Amino acid sequence: MTTPLALPFPADTTPGGFLLVLAILVPIIGILLIWTLGSRRTELVALTTLAIGAAIALAILTELTGTGSAVIYLVGGWRPPLGLALRADGLSVVLIVLTAIVIGAVGIFAKGQFGYDPDAPEKRAPTVFWTLLLGISGALNLIFLGDDLFNLFVAIELVTFTAVPLVCLDGKAETMRAALRYLLFALLGSVMYLLGVALIYSGYGTLDIALLKSVARVEPLLFIAIALMTVGLLAKTALFPLHIWLPAAHAGAPAAASAVLSALVVKGSFFIILRLWFDILPAEATGLGAQMLAGLGALAILFGSVIAICQARLKLLIAYSTVAQIGYLFLMFPLATGSEATPAFASIAWTGGILQLASHAFAKAAMFLAAGLVYDAFGHDRISGLAGAGRVIPITFIAFGLGGMSLMGLPPSGGFSAKWLMLNASVGEGQWWWAAVILCGGLLAAGYVFRVLVPAMARPLARIKVKGPVSRRRELVALALAIMALLIGFVPLEPAPLLGIGRGAEAGLLVPGGLAP
Amino acid sequence: MSGSLLSGDATNGAGLLLALALLFPLVLAVGLSFPAARARIGTLLAIAPLPALAVALLGNGARFVMPGPFRLTLALDASGAMLMGAAALLWTAAALYAPAYWQGGSMLRRAGLWWLFTLAGSLGVFVADDVVSFYLLFSLVSLAAYGLVVLEGNSSVRRAGAIYVGFAVLGEAFLLIAFVLLANASPGGSLAIADVVQGLPFSPWRDWTLLFLILGFGTKMAQVPLHLWMPLSYRATPIPAVAALSGAAVKAGVIGLARFLPFDSGSVPWGELLTVIGMISAFYGVLVGLTQTNPKAILAYSSISQMGVIAAVLGMGLAAGRASAPAEATFYAVHHLFAKGGLFLAIGVVAATGRWRIWPVFIPAAFVALGIAGLPLTGGALAKLAVKDALGYGLVGTLGKLSAIASTVLMIRFLTVLRGTARTDAGEALAPLTLRLVWWGVAALAVLAPWILLTPATGYPLSDAVSPSTLFDGIWPLAIGGLLAIGGRRLLPNPPRIPPGDILALLRPVGRLAGAASVAIERTEARLREWPIAGAIFLGLVLAFSIAMYLAGSS
Repeated sequence: MTTPLALPFPADTTPGGFLLVLAILVPIIGILLIWTLGSRRTELVALTTLAIGAAIALAILTELTGTGSAVIYLVGGWRPPLGLALRADGLSVVLIVLTAIVIGAVGIFAKGQFGYDPDAPEKRAPTVFWTLLLGISGALNLIFLGDDLFNLFVAIELVTFTAVPLVCLDGKAETMRAALRYLLFALLGSVMYLLGVALIYSGYGTLDIALLKSVARVEPLLFIAIALMTVGLLAKTALFPLHIWLPAAHAGAPAAASAVLSALVVKGSFFIILRLWFDILPAEATGLGAQMLAGLGALAILFGSVIAICQARLKLLIAYSTVAQIGYLFLMFPLATGSEATPAFASIAWTGGILQLASHAFAKAAMFLAAGLVYDAFGHDRISGLAGAGRVIPITFIAFGLGGMSLMGLPPSGGFSAKWLMLNASVGEGQWWWAAVILCGGLLAAGYVFRVLVPAMARPLARIKVKGPVSRRRELVALALAIMALLIGFVPLEPAPLLGIGRGAEAGLLVPGGLAP
Repeated sequence: MSGSLLSGDATNGAGLLLALALLFPLVLAVGLSFPAARARIGTLLAIAPLPALAVALLGNGARFVMPGPFRLTLALDASGAMLMGAAALLWTAAALYAPAYWQGGSMLRRAGLWWLFTLAGSLGVFVADDVVSFYLLFSLVSLAAYGLVVLEGNSSVRRAGAIYVGFAVLGEAFLLIAFVLLANASPGGSLAIADVVQGLPFSPWRDWTLLFLILGFGTKMAQVPLHLWMPLSYRATPIPAVAALSGAAVKAGVIGLARFLPFDSGSVPWGELLTVIGMISAFYGVLVGLTQTNPKAILAYSSISQMGVIAAVLGMGLAAGRASAPAEATFYAVHHLFAKGGLFLAIGVVAATGRWRIWPVFIPAAFVALGIAGLPLTGGALAKLAVKDALGYGLVGTLGKLSAIASTVLMIRFLTVLRGTARTDAGEALAPLTLRLVWWGVAALAVLAPWILLTPATGYPLSDAVSPSTLFDGIWPLAIGGLLAIGGRRLLPNPPRIPPGDILALLRPVGRLAGAASVAIERTEARLREWPIAGAIFLGLVLAFSIAMYLAGSS
């Protein structure tokens, strides 16, 4: 077997390429400033950094839609396979903007919560929280922009090492255990991923995704490598039955951290799976594997939702709902099928899947933040003790309810549009069994959402004990995220052109600058 | 008539007013966040439906297409205008009735938000012109009504509310899949109702689509065996709200069947199935209704029965490809809207009236109740006349007549129970004037409005309604029903009692099964958390994916 020779990377740095570097560097600069300027200015620095990050994300979006092609940066001017490329296509930019918005909102929510307290015995907690938050935003951007499998490995490890401490920020034994379990699963996943990377490198001599796409052959080596990497990433994405670390970890973290973990962090590793399956694997040979992925997704939907209904604590309920909602994402694999005429990313299932990703991110962030406010107000999050809570903090429960509406797939919401598109895809592809799963998932979601909302809105027999006031600003942040989850439901119910930018059949080969080295 | 009869794509002036009219209750709902608005809540609820009423009266042909990314198309055709106008009147009446019934009080304030949302959805479904808007408004009327069902807030009410929501969500899941199937078969990908219905006969999933449409709308119309929620939730809901729900909100199911079934091309098996379901519900509702002691539960079962008649009319129309069936069924529905809404209001009036002063409020109730059974010269007789041809002159036509007899018996039972609820502690008491006036107004609408609408809605001349044969057709079922009612009371002075929600008890094993399943799932989850098992699963997945993909790669 001869090793196919990868062509040199076919593109140069595009005019807006420096933005990609900024998207990664700015959070890192922010972290350095936090550590040098001292804890008094931590919040100011962190929030400014997040604002700049959001501006950069929007700039990349503008650049991408303006030119209608991928934004590329070649690190050091070296072309892959020798050098590293950063590349933003339509899909990456959607996720970058999503990350910027959610982390920005969480930042505003957390302001004051992890602020500088001169009297507190522990002065590192705020520094640690904001460092980790910025770290996650930079690492996620690196995932979304990376075009090199090893580069992605570094990024996903960065995400893991910033996410794990967020889980055990309060230092209690219980959350430490959850964090350790998370860490072990993530490490197992990393090992598998690394093994797969090594196999691919031995077979093709390059790890650049765009180049691999052009040389990948239908052969066992590639498939086994991808299988290893996929299972590794499934552990980090917490797809059933590798989800068991997630509920304790996401429910134990402080609300602001839970929101980021559930809304964004699990999506980072999912994004890499998408890249592996749709950008490297030859389309003709994914059938059985895709059905297996979606099968696990279906189990996640049913299993996770039922367990969510049975939970006694609000945060655990929301965490199990994440387990279920992640399942929907994996229905993309068999449903987003491409053909000669229309590539996979121009299918409605692709748009539906990404919409599900985004609407779940907004809705889940809103719900976790709402759960945090519930804790602030009542000092606990036992669902049985929340009768009448909606009358005390109505805005919080409106945010929770709107988020829940999106999870249930009620119109108008992102969840509805996502489900509509995925249902249409499963009918159109003749795979009706996924449609049945999606519908059941919606019914079960109604079960766990109403289980919280109904008593909360009811008149309690005894007046509910209120522990403390709730910050209006925090309530409004949660509400704003929930409203975002509704607003993205208004995208047209058809394949979104934005998601196709820079992803032609010649993805990455399409190019400003031509082929000549 | 399938879907909208209107042509043209652009918004017209009346269409803009239509959209604003639907927006109005929602604006008022937002306004409730101001204390000044909350203080005048009675007025707000009463004026909320008025713009829609005006548009229904004046704006025929209105069309609204929302620009930009928002998908909302509205169109007002004759059937939609008739139902929307009638519903707006009933909602107004209920809102005028509510403050007097609740004596101001906190109930009205608690109801306000849910009331306005339900109202917006209830009026909107009659004019939604595309599948997604219809689904949105249908969800709105179904789910917001939950807030009205549980207003009284005790534990039996909460149980009724839970059952209500369960069925509402289930019905919506049926509809969602039906709509997805419709959209997939739509020529040119259009989501307009008229277009998807036109594509339905050629759809590869035609039978599945029809099945899910019937299941979805059948749930909303409480057709057997998906009727369980109706008696429970109607009994639980306070009178002003249940009047609006039983009269107006339930018609979302009627307009759904009328708009989405392909009457132009017809379908014999599905039409016959719908007829069978409808007729079963028509008689089942009466039989179980007769065993009820709560007047609200009796009316709920009567609703099941009457919705059954409408389903049968639409089913026969579908089987015969009768294009006029939707118009006839909606006309029948308009009468039911006023009659049923009115009778619920009457329950509240009679309960506040002393036994010696009951006649001025009771006699109209007798007219309206027997009108449901087809009392000649009332609106009910006209409703029966309008659907006579659609039901045909064969077996189903005969069953239709028998259902009128059955309804007579049930309505007499209702009137008997109703009379017994008058106050005995203060025999000379009079219900507040507002309550009486609103009730008389709705009763008058039930008896008279069909006279105005018959010819424009169905094309039958009014002279048909007073012809001797029609009068005779109306009289004899009443006479037989009356005799049966008297005879029945002699023979069976203590009829059996079936709790509202009758076959709900049959669901108990299902509930136990679900409980056992969730326990098993939780136990599995606990097992998965053990390290050796987690490790084995991890390895197993690695192997499984490697093998699956190796096979794919080597083939």
